[in-house]
Amino acid sequence: MSAPGRPATAPLAPEETARPASARELFLTYCAISLQAFGGALALTERTLVHKKRWFTPKDFLGLYAISQVLPGPTGMSFCVLVGDRFFGLRGACAALAGFLVLPTFIVIGLASLFQQNQHLPAVQGALNGMGAAAVGLIVHTAARMARTLRGERVGVLVALATFGAVALGGLSVRTVMLSLGLASVAWAWHRLGRKA
Amino acid sequence: MNSTLSGAELLALFGHFLSLSLFATGGVMALASDLHRYVVDEHRYISHTQFVGSIALGQAAPGPNLMWVVVMGWLISGLPGAVATTLGLALPALVFPVLVSRAGRLPQFDRGLKALQRGLGPVAIGLMGATCYLLVSETPGAWKGAAMITVSVLLLALTRLPPMVLIAAAGITGAFVPW
Repeated sequence: MSAPGRPATAPLAPEETARPASARELFLTYCAISLQAFGGALALTERTLVHKKRWFTPKDFLGLYAISQVLPGPTGMSFCVLVGDRFFGLRGACAALAGFLVLPTFIVIGLASLFQQNQHLPAVQGALNGMGAAAVGLIVHTAARMARTLRGERVGVLVALATFGAVALGGLSVRTVMLSLGLASVAWAWHRLGRKA
Repeated sequence: MNSTLSGAELLALFGHFLSLSLFATGGVMALASDLHRYVVDEHRYISHTQFVGSIALGQAAPGPNLMWVVVMGWLISGLPGAVATTLGLALPALVFPVLVSRAGRLPQFDRGLKALQRGLGPVAIGLMGATCYLLVSETPGAWKGAAMITVSVLLLALTRLPPMVLIAAAGITGAFVPW
C-alpha cells in the first residue's frame, strides 16, 4: 500500500473534512452502507465516507484501512469500529458496528429459515446449488484479482504457494500457518523495508 | 436446524471462532478451509452442501461477507449457534481497534504496519486459494456445478455484471436444472 503514512489519529484539516453530527448519524450511515453492500463493502464504504460524507480524506481512509487489515478480526468490522471510535469513542464504535450488522443479520436469518423450511422441494435445493456455484465463482474471481497483486514479487508468490499447500493439501490450521509462514513473511518484509530506508 | 448443541458445545464453537478470528488476516472468506474442517469434517454439525449453502445465502443477502458466518451458526444450532459464531468472530474486531486507537502511538508503527501488511498479504492470498480449492473440488452437482462456476467467473471477469444479479440468475437457473 502506498499511503499509510499519515497517522490515523492526526487532526483533520477543517476545510477538507466534516464529521458526523451524532452517533445516530454514524449508525444510520452504516445501516445504509450495509444494506447496499453485496459481495464486499469496501468500495461502497469508501464512496460514502470519503466522497459523499467527507468524513475522511482519501489518504486517511487508506491509513485507517491498512490498520484494520493487520489487526486481528475481519477487516470490514475492525474498520467500522475504528471509524466509530474515532468520532464518538466506544459509543460511536458500537453505533457503527450495530449499523453494519443488525439489519443484514435479520435479513439473512429470514432468508436462511425460508430456505430451510422449503429445503425438501427439489427446486429450492436446485436454486441453492445454483446460488452456491455463483458464490464460488465470485470467490474465485476475487482470489484471482488478489493474486494479480503478487506479480513480480518472487518471495510473495512463494509464501502464497506455501500457504496454499499447507492449508489446502497439508490440512494445517490457519493458526499454525500464521505462526510459522506468517511470522517469517512479516519478518522478511520488515527486513526489506529496513534496507530500503 | 438439524442439531441443537449443548452449552459446552456452544462454548467450544464460540472458542474456535474466537481463536480463528485472532489469526484472521483480510476477509472471512480466507478462513473457509479451517472452518470447514471444524464444522463439517470433525464435528459434522452441518453437511458440505449446507456449508456451501451458507456461503451462497451470505453472498446473496445484503451486508458484509461475514453474514456467511451468521448463517452457518444458524444452521448449526439456531439463534444460540448464530450468536456463538458471530460473537466469536466479532469480538477481536471490537476489542483491538479500540485498544489500538487508545494507545495513540500509530505513527511510530509505520515500518511495523507496512511490514505486517506486506508480509501478511501473500498469506491471505494463499488462504483464499485454499478456499477456492475446497469449494471447487467439492462442488455439488459434478460437472453442472463446475460449468456454472466457470460461467460465473467468466461473466465477472468480462462484464460489469453486479454480483447480486449473477447470484439471483444462478439461483433461478439452478431451480430448473435437474441436479
